[in-house]
Amino acid sequence: MNFELSDEQKLIGESVERFVQDNYELETRRKLAEQDPGFSRDYWAQMAELGWLALPFAEEHGGFGGNQIDTMVVMEQFGKGLVLEPYLASIVMGGGAVKRAGGDLAAEVLPKVIDGSRQLALAYAEPQSRFDLHDVTTTAKQDGDGYVLNGHKSMVLHGATADQIVVSARTGGGQIDTDGISLFLIDADADGVKRDGFPTVDGLRACEIELKDVRVGADRLLGEAGKGFEILSAVANDAILALAAEAVGAMERLYKDTVEYTQERVQFDHPLSDFQVLQHRMVDMFMEYEQSKSLLYRATLEAAQGDAETAQRTIHALKHLIGRNGIFIGENAVQLHGGMGMTEELAIGHYFKRILVIDSQFGNADYHLEKFAA
Amino acid sequence: MDIELSSEDLAFRDEVRQFFKDNAYKPGDDYNQWRLDWFKKAREKGGWDVPKWPKDFGGPGWTPTQHYIWEQETARATLPWDMPFGVGMVAPIIMGYGNEEQQQRFLPDIRARTVNWCQGYSEPGAGSDLASLKTKAVLSEDGSHYVVNGQKIWTTAAHIADWMFCLTRTDDSGKKQEGITFLLIPMKQEGIEVKPIITLGGNHTVNTVYLTDVKVPVENRIGEEGKGWTYAKGLLQHERTGLAGLSRSLVALEGLKENARSVTRGNGTLMDDGSFRAKVAELEVDLLAAEYTELRSLASAQAGAAPGPESSILKLKGTEIQQRIQKLTMEAGGVFSAAWGDKSVGPKFARGGMAGYLASRAYTIYGGASEVQKDVIAKNVLGIKRSSK
Repeated sequence: MNFELSDEQKLIGESVERFVQDNYELETRRKLAEQDPGFSRDYWAQMAELGWLALPFAEEHGGFGGNQIDTMVVMEQFGKGLVLEPYLASIVMGGGAVKRAGGDLAAEVLPKVIDGSRQLALAYAEPQSRFDLHDVTTTAKQDGDGYVLNGHKSMVLHGATADQIVVSARTGGGQIDTDGISLFLIDADADGVKRDGFPTVDGLRACEIELKDVRVGADRLLGEAGKGFEILSAVANDAILALAAEAVGAMERLYKDTVEYTQERVQFDHPLSDFQVLQHRMVDMFMEYEQSKSLLYRATLEAAQGDAETAQRTIHALKHLIGRNGIFIGENAVQLHGGMGMTEELAIGHYFKRILVIDSQFGNADYHLEKFAA
Repeated sequence: MDIELSSEDLAFRDEVRQFFKDNAYKPGDDYNQWRLDWFKKAREKGGWDVPKWPKDFGGPGWTPTQHYIWEQETARATLPWDMPFGVGMVAPIIMGYGNEEQQQRFLPDIRARTVNWCQGYSEPGAGSDLASLKTKAVLSEDGSHYVVNGQKIWTTAAHIADWMFCLTRTDDSGKKQEGITFLLIPMKQEGIEVKPIITLGGNHTVNTVYLTDVKVPVENRIGEEGKGWTYAKGLLQHERTGLAGLSRSLVALEGLKENARSVTRGNGTLMDDGSFRAKVAELEVDLLAAEYTELRSLASAQAGAAPGPESSILKLKGTEIQQRIQKLTMEAGGVFSAAWGDKSVGPKFARGGMAGYLASRAYTIYGGASEVQKDVIAKNVLGIKRSSK
């Protein structure tokens, strides 16, 4: 039994922590979020230089050969700083899909993803799909030696700034069949691709994508035709683990900030922390944070080392618990901060917003509880 | 026990419905003109523009049941925009504690909705513990005016207000509830600076108000110097009972169900989703109970009795229900609720879903945080005595 990180992982964690401390003051973040592209390209270059973009990729592609544990170490620190750069979108999601598909495309694309010169996004959701990855109406029709794509992709994380986008589309099967989904890597500026970008509640960016007669060569197909759902599910699992790590980082700040604030804020001639009802609430917040962290470790270790079926079930449990506990901690952090908690001025509101968006991505707490119970 | 409305009450309900129908806003109408006309016509009905004002001041003198009917009907109709600060909050204080000259000076404009008011109560160091406020008012040597210095916070609508009713400290030598003076301060004058506070939903409704050497004529003082806390306390009570909003929640719950039915999930809709449906059902159960809590409280008021213990829970339950409706609306919107600002993606109702939920978190903070409300109930309703620390 050993929950210690390796020396390498510790070093990465410390280096990300330092980066966040030095570069992610709330005010700096606010400015970055408000201006295009919604993050710092300079920070992205630094992340490439520090090797963080290489972590989950194979050595043959110039990667570090790491696994979900390494990603967790990075994302937990990112969660404490509410980092805006598209690590999740480009490295875990877009890059993750290309990595799992492998082949020539991976050899072509991943070195550029790793050196930071190319950013990816993953377009999987559609207006009607809610949280089902296999609810896909976008079509890819074979045409000569390539495909023609038509459809609408929704809420594509960092889609408006990505250079290339992984798109799920039907080459066969009915609207909610898991078979018949294929993944394509399209250029963001290809003919027929219309992107409409906008900010989300947490200060990140998303976009709607319309695909109208978008032509792609057969060599842009990721993995096997009709088997895209397997890749998509695996990427979603990695994304959930990454989001959960980020959420745990945010929860830590939420409960610690609240403990600190209630000791400073005086009402009725006492610091708020003198009131037992508030003490117990903060103990509850702390307990749920620790539980979330435990399940994060469990799911991450099982995904990295255990059998797939066990890991899948724990990942459902994790996404449920993160949503439930994250919102519980966020709501109470705001409540205990009173009016101040309702303002953009303090960090806690921003952590809470990020936690809400995390719950809405890749299936919310209810969705995964149902999957877990099934 | 009998819950049937009397034939008089039913006739009243029909009359209210007819009035709302006859005076509804029509697209193309000038909104402000329609608004002012609406209140004028409501006034001609015999005080319907100020339902809660006493008869002596032009109110309708309704029974509690009539008030209840009015509240239910207003939840389903579109009424003109109205802020609670004038008619609902400062007017009762002017009626109760102001002199006749002040009543003649302020009440007509308040009633006509031609001036906007805001409430200068909370301060950075005085939130739930309002009586610890520090904004200082010093009477000039000739006794003609006060000079006010300090800072107010969470002041809703201060940026559009013409007047602020304000609690100030004129004496800090005694108990903190003593030495507070109630002043009416014109907002458009030198020495008053209003700074917006942007809240989590991205909205600007609340402000910080800085007062620097603001001169307030002594004629603008309500009642006696140092007695302001007593006047304000009555108003706070008033504010708390007005916040349950159950009728509106019932309408919102219907909307929530309809919206959830419009969200597809595989071959069904979100209302086929067991856990979502269960949460909506739990909410409805609580709402059914809360409605009767309100009716019980109403019935004892009707009988002229003091409000029973059940009325103390209405604000707590009512706001909690409102928050749950917002939360479920956000959940129903799924990932589309995360779009920020005016951006609309996915189902129409999802627009601003997360922002709406975030804004609703304030319901259990303003007008007395829930924790403080529970302290008050423990002490006043349950009669729990605290041994001194």
